[in-house]
Amino acid sequence: MALAREPQRKEYWRWTEYNWRNPDLDWRRAKTITAGVDVGSVSSQAVIMCDGELYAFANMRTGSDSPTSAQRAMDWAMENTGMTLKDVHFTVGTGYGRVNVPFANKAITEIACHARGGNFMYGPTVRTILDMGGQDCKAIHCDEKGKVTSFLMNDKCAAGTGRGMEVFADLLGVSIEDVGELSLQVAEEPEPVSSTCVVFAKTEATGLLRAGWPREKVLAAYCSAMAHRVVSLLERNGVEPDFAITGGIAKNVGVVSRIEKELGIKALKPRYDTQLAGAIGAALFGKALVEKGRR
Amino acid sequence: MQKFQEWFENRHEYAKEWKQRTGGKVIGYFCTYVPEEILYAAGVLPVRILGSHEPQDVTEPHIFGMFCPFCRDCLAQGLKGRFDYLDGITIAQSCLHIRQAYTSWDLHRPREFSYYLPMPHHVQSKRAYPFLRSELAAFKEAVEKWTGKTISDADLDRGIEIMNTSRRLMREVYELRKRENPPLTGLEAMYLVLSGQMVDKREHNAYLEQKLKELSERQPDRQTGERLMILGSEDDDTAFMAMAESLGTTFVVDDHCTGSRYFWNRVEPQEDRLMAIAARYIDRPACPTKDWPERSRLPHILKLAKEWNVQGAIVMQQKFCDPHELDIPAIRKYLEENGVPTLFLEFDVTVPIGQFRIRVEAFLEMLRQEDLF
Repeated sequence: MALAREPQRKEYWRWTEYNWRNPDLDWRRAKTITAGVDVGSVSSQAVIMCDGELYAFANMRTGSDSPTSAQRAMDWAMENTGMTLKDVHFTVGTGYGRVNVPFANKAITEIACHARGGNFMYGPTVRTILDMGGQDCKAIHCDEKGKVTSFLMNDKCAAGTGRGMEVFADLLGVSIEDVGELSLQVAEEPEPVSSTCVVFAKTEATGLLRAGWPREKVLAAYCSAMAHRVVSLLERNGVEPDFAITGGIAKNVGVVSRIEKELGIKALKPRYDTQLAGAIGAALFGKALVEKGRR
Repeated sequence: MQKFQEWFENRHEYAKEWKQRTGGKVIGYFCTYVPEEILYAAGVLPVRILGSHEPQDVTEPHIFGMFCPFCRDCLAQGLKGRFDYLDGITIAQSCLHIRQAYTSWDLHRPREFSYYLPMPHHVQSKRAYPFLRSELAAFKEAVEKWTGKTISDADLDRGIEIMNTSRRLMREVYELRKRENPPLTGLEAMYLVLSGQMVDKREHNAYLEQKLKELSERQPDRQTGERLMILGSEDDDTAFMAMAESLGTTFVVDDHCTGSRYFWNRVEPQEDRLMAIAARYIDRPACPTKDWPERSRLPHILKLAKEWNVQGAIVMQQKFCDPHELDIPAIRKYLEENGVPTLFLEFDVTVPIGQFRIRVEAFLEMLRQEDLF
């Protein structure tokens, strides 16, 4: 008898990749067109702004090759717009792959870009930005213009980051987009799992599942561990309101609500896709640089 | 300047060649509180034991993984036999981690001579001077017994002269770094000081003396950019220095035992030579293991920052280095209050260049105040 093979199973970690275009804007009328391309360790975003207004973007997974990822994100953002790279006045690259964006005019760190993008997305009152990225976390302080005044990054470990959450979604067979909601469906908050290492946390979670814990309880324990970890990072740098979260994990209500509870303050409600902060900041820096050049 | 880098990179070849050439003995020292004056007086070549910044798997059975990466890296060099040409090893008491590296080395790679010098911790006490003086007398006696030669006052004067000349020359080089466009980078300065810890100081001094004028007239072929200071624990991480300076900044001064702390003050002559040497080590810019109850490092570091006109400071420590870890919050607070922004980094045997690069770059963006808004 031939061994039966399992059908290709679902990739629970896979989040939705998409692009978007502002139907109310005509880029041909814009004076300044700039792009920001954020090639992160997990996701890449290309944002196109017309005179400082969001015109189009694409949000997708980063491949093994940074230049290709940057190019693909940019092409997807420009899709069906009639725009080509030649129409863009200035492009700023940011993220881990910032120096590998082939068509960028300048590279700026994602720390500066998240502060600037956070300022655009949440308004000038934001003073503390927590960027929860794919493979690292940053606690950033900024002024009313979105200029960094201090920052702190986590050490080299994926716990408390998007990659860790992907591992858990896969382990428990829960779509990454549903993890947050599900983790809140517990009558009582369980003890958090180990917060120092994703692999240790996963081992611990496997044990908890064997002990009969339901999935939501295990997810609650992981979301809570993640919240603990980033709160300690935030507190090392101090939290000054208003407070906002950027990056993919900002979409996870299970983590966000636990961070808010631990800090005792609410995060500002996002009006944009939180994964775009870095690329938006980069595009805005591009605009400032173009205008500076014209002066 | 290339010569200093070559000496640093070929330190083992140099020492072996030195032995052959002179027929003298070479001693490895683990801490800069070891009085090299006495070793030079005895005609012995002191070389500093430093790591090699390669991942290693030989120290785990002998020393805890949560001891600092520097002391583990040093011990690895001994266990791998890289320093097998050494005739002796010695340490002056500073921290427990490095002492463990020394004792483990002594146990597994015994040399013909080994000496633990109980350098006092409480250097802020007047009683530290006579205490260290008597320990130095015992050390001198042990060295005499080892080499079979008596160390006279004239020998000690010679040892002091060699060390003081080196210190004077390095101070002169550091003076040049005060210029608006320093003629040497932080990386070059690091090679210069480190090589001085490995090469016969007479040779190093003669070469440096001859190069000083050339260095003074040298026009840097790069922009200085932001003037940075780097301070903290032992630091011979040339890869980090090169990466940071490639981002368009220059380290103009440091507070490291592999840098300025090593050569900052000189032996002031006294009739009692050992007392004069003792006073130099008691009074030197302190290692944090000895900087208590008063933190004398704070005003010293700020003075360096002001005199060398730095715009920011990178405060680093070897991971798990408790003495530095304890000082760092106070140092950062003090510097920030005095208008010097800081960036804290924790070093390991190998430095994660990508992760450090973003931190340094973001720090520089903060300092640059570039008009992007």
